[in-house]
Amino acid sequence: MKDIRALLFDPIVKNNPIALQILGICSALAVTVKMDVTMIMCIALTSVVTLSNFFISIIRLYIPDSIRIIVQMTIISSLVIMVDEILKAYAYEASKELSVFVGLIITNCIVMGRAEAFAMKNPPLKSLIDGFGNGLGYSFILIVVATIREVFGSGTFFGVQVMPDFYPTNNFLLLPPSSFIIIGLMIWVIRSFDDEQVDENEFPLKAHTYKPLTVKKEVIDG
Amino acid sequence: MRNLLIPLLACIACAVIVSVTAVSVRDKQNENLEYDKKTKILLAAGIIAENIDEEFTNITTLYIDFKKNELVEMEDSYDPIKATLNKTTSTLIPNEKDIAILKRRENIGPVYLWLNKQNSIDKVVVPIRGYGLWGTLYGYLSLDSDLNTVRGIEFYDHKETPGLGAEVENQDWKDLWEGKLLYGSDGGVQLKVVKGSAKGKYQINGLSGATLTSNGVSNMINYWLGSDGYGPALEKIKSLYGPQVAMQ
Repeated sequence: MKDIRALLFDPIVKNNPIALQILGICSALAVTVKMDVTMIMCIALTSVVTLSNFFISIIRLYIPDSIRIIVQMTIISSLVIMVDEILKAYAYEASKELSVFVGLIITNCIVMGRAEAFAMKNPPLKSLIDGFGNGLGYSFILIVVATIREVFGSGTFFGVQVMPDFYPTNNFLLLPPSSFIIIGLMIWVIRSFDDEQVDENEFPLKAHTYKPLTVKKEVIDG
Repeated sequence: MRNLLIPLLACIACAVIVSVTAVSVRDKQNENLEYDKKTKILLAAGIIAENIDEEFTNITTLYIDFKKNELVEMEDSYDPIKATLNKTTSTLIPNEKDIAILKRRENIGPVYLWLNKQNSIDKVVVPIRGYGLWGTLYGYLSLDSDLNTVRGIEFYDHKETPGLGAEVENQDWKDLWEGKLLYGSDGGVQLKVVKGSAKGKYQINGLSGATLTSNGVSNMINYWLGSDGYGPALEKIKSLYGPQVAMQ
């Protein structure tokens, strides 16, 4: 039980795929302008990573090692195409706004990373929960970023105006680079609460040492 | 042996799942596309409607036989894009005339016509399409009652680069089209998308970084509103529904 809870909730803050592993940044930059689009992207990615983990884990013992990435990709891309088709049928407007980013879930490092690192080594049910947890972790960051960007960028939340009329649209927050900065700040906040996540300093500065100059005096005779 | 069998089975399973999903949601997707097209027709004409189907009852859809330049009766379900796939319902465009790179043109095309209370033309929407940089752009162009002044342009499908060619969907750019004139004094299509700054009533600022898309848009306007496209048909509509006809 404890194990399952760890699988499900660890990826949200403690081992977040975006904040700690710095994976899947690309779509976090691109689809976080509006809340409704972000929510659909989160649901799409969570369902893909959950199901791909599950299916890959079922056949993990039979996948020949030399072509495992190709087999994983086949399963992941089939799932992504499925999600894309369903979005085109039932969430047409959002699928138009997401355009290529649904297709790009195939190359999302979180999906591949979980398949390679977890699903290939663990039983199906555990993999399913792990996939879902990582989907939640991804969604958590995206929802926070999208909330900040939509509320302070265009002054709306889910398309409903929340800021007073005099609030001007903040063009910087509407452009992709702003999510870089928001994600950076989030990583800073998370790491300042959780010391374990702080990277080890690869190039520590050594304390200054003083060594007196020694000048060799040549003794000249005579 | 097992090394081959499992990937093969995985592939077959994936293929089956993908095709079953694709087929089962096809109808719903087509419905969405139809709805989107209708929205774009209305948007091109400058109408933002709550109820699209209701708004469509105001439209008289005319079908034009391009070869004979005659109005013909067609069913509502007629799709000109599908018609180009069939040899009997479309004609091959000779290379030198195929400026919009369409290869085949349907024999019968629709014109969406709004009539005013005097039963004369209020506004008109014609479908346009042509090759940009990566693929064909599909859209609608709306004209005023003189069948010369542009009211608006909309694209419902294209494969242009986001941020560059896909800026054909940018509202600021689409707004540039309003009030521009299509035909010059000689009767030919004069309207062009130009590089640099546009001057006068016959020029529209090109999209920066998307010269080929801009040229594609120019070409499709030139083709579809020219003598091989809706040019003669618009003359015909003018003679049938023009203000002077309605007066008599």
